[in-house]
Amino acid sequence: MVHALRRAGQRLRPGGRLISIRPHETQLPLVSVITPSRRIPVARLTTPGFDDRQSAADAALERVVAEGRFALNGIRNHRYRSLLDNPSQLRTYLELINPPRPRFPPGRRAQLLDLWRSSPRGSKIEIAEWIVLTALRRR
Amino acid sequence: MRLLAGTIYASIRSMPAALDISAYPPDGMEVRLIERFTTLKGRRILEVGCGDGRLTFQYAPTAREVLAFDPDRASIEDALDEQAALGVSNVDFRVGSIEHLPARGAPFDIALFSWSL
Repeated sequence: MVHALRRAGQRLRPGGRLISIRPHETQLPLVSVITPSRRIPVARLTTPGFDDRQSAADAALERVVAEGRFALNGIRNHRYRSLLDNPSQLRTYLELINPPRPRFPPGRRAQLLDLWRSSPRGSKIEIAEWIVLTALRRR
Repeated sequence: MRLLAGTIYASIRSMPAALDISAYPPDGMEVRLIERFTTLKGRRILEVGCGDGRLTFQYAPTAREVLAFDPDRASIEDALDEQAALGVSNVDFRVGSIEHLPARGAPFDIALFSWSL
């Protein structure tokens, strides 16, 4: 990752920006059931096997700043939410989500399905995800 | 580096049909975030890990020129199909990784690593 950032830096003009957009390292996706009257959080999805990669990305960005190639221009966190009509759509969503192959904590998937079956008509399943944007300026 | 710093803004979207499902942010959100730091208008942009051009096609209309590459050939083929359908002429999609990019050449204004670092 450091090599990729260095190479990008070689091709950026001085003052140019390097922008990284990636999933937030610690704010894990949150699955909730939304009924007409309330939001019921059910589980934060875990991403086993991906945490090391996330940490490596952060470390690589810090490294090129420490090397003096870039200056930190800013960081922004952002949350976005997706509303799904049913558990079938949730299965599709989880195949597409990034980081890949998230897991429900033990028992939480069953809890979600139980909750869904008892939810009133018009309820939705909500996935809230967080991304982080890091902007570096080429020195 | 304070990775938890910054302001949180929320976007929300509804997904009416399974075929429309995307786990990426809604169109336009990432471009708005980028433009909090730098304008994309008239810029020469290098996009690393462009996939099928999902984000590329959102900002390409305002950019001057884009070099976008991804190691996945199938994704680049999808991007090229979409490029032809949209008539976008200022994007050069290539199969490869940044290691294949020559160290010397015309400089870029912005290097974008979108979900690829």
